[in-house]
Amino acid sequence: MHEFSIVSSIVDAVQEFGEKHEAKKILEVRLAIGKLTHLQLEQLKFCYTAITKATALEGSTLEIEEVDAEAACPLCSYRGAPKFWEGALNFMPVPTLQCPMCGNATDAIKGNECAIKSVKYAG
Amino acid sequence: MIEHVEAAPDEIYDIELEKSLLDANAKLAKENRAILDELGITALDFMGAIGSGKTTLIGKLVGKLKDRCGIAVFNGDATTTNDADLIAREGTQVVQIATVNGCHLDANLVQKAFRKIDLKNLDLIFIENIGNLICPAEFPLGSKSRIVVVSVTEGPYMVKKHGHMFLGADVVVINKIDLAAAMEVSVEDLTRDVHTLKPSIKVIPTSCKNGSGLDEVIAALSPIWNGSDA
Repeated sequence: MHEFSIVSSIVDAVQEFGEKHEAKKILEVRLAIGKLTHLQLEQLKFCYTAITKATALEGSTLEIEEVDAEAACPLCSYRGAPKFWEGALNFMPVPTLQCPMCGNATDAIKGNECAIKSVKYAG
Repeated sequence: MIEHVEAAPDEIYDIELEKSLLDANAKLAKENRAILDELGITALDFMGAIGSGKTTLIGKLVGKLKDRCGIAVFNGDATTTNDADLIAREGTQVVQIATVNGCHLDANLVQKAFRKIDLKNLDLIFIENIGNLICPAEFPLGSKSRIVVVSVTEGPYMVKKHGHMFLGADVVVINKIDLAAAMEVSVEDLTRDVHTLKPSIKVIPTSCKNGSGLDEVIAALSPIWNGSDA
């Protein structure tokens, strides 16, 4: 349940941003969350509603943009979607670091994002 | 009546921020790594479920290595000093890092632990993360390598179920293999699952109970602290 600590840092960052920009009201916070993170989006939204109460962010909407994973192979120079594990037990595809072209280990170059993209506010 | 203000459309601003929320921890992790590199110390982060055998494995490794190099152990635990007490019997410096019910260690807590020990004459710091297969992955600590400890008693599907955890690991220890037959769990299948997720991971089956595989763990980890596999 580290969504709680992530949302706490959102509140801190946006409050600081709001003070700097002399925002009267924060209207919307947009996040980019990579699909390789372990963050559960419903829990993020739930924590957001709970934690923002009585802060400058109360009543604002949280928009989450999911970022697809991307892998790069140092051996065969493949760059693109990771290989997904077919036949695992999961109801959703499991991304792997196996190169879809040559089978070697790839590096994840996208998919670990966890960032505030933008803030919409009334000034 | 609560006062409120409403912005006119021309008073609404949409500003790009691009602020990473994991940056604060990542920055501290880099600081930790720099502190350790400066002193020639290698930190290894052991992650895994509760009961997988992280503490026992670390205790056994300390027992085998303590005459050869200077070791300290940081034991992350939500509430108890149980694990630190067990490791302290090996006669090494131990710091209990209590997360007070937090689900993972972070770089700040590790940095605070540095201040509790004498870093001089140390070669290795073993960091035992909180027993959790999800949250610790997001929080680097400054270690040179991350090790996941799984055990056959967690069942045949644990690697498939927690795939994400293995993507950031360099070494996987499959522990309690002495119980594999009784558990009807195939060590080969678990190994194959790990390699499906990440072909470059070293997988080492162990039994901390009878000592099998422990020398292989040391052989797999020693290139990391000797610098040839950093």
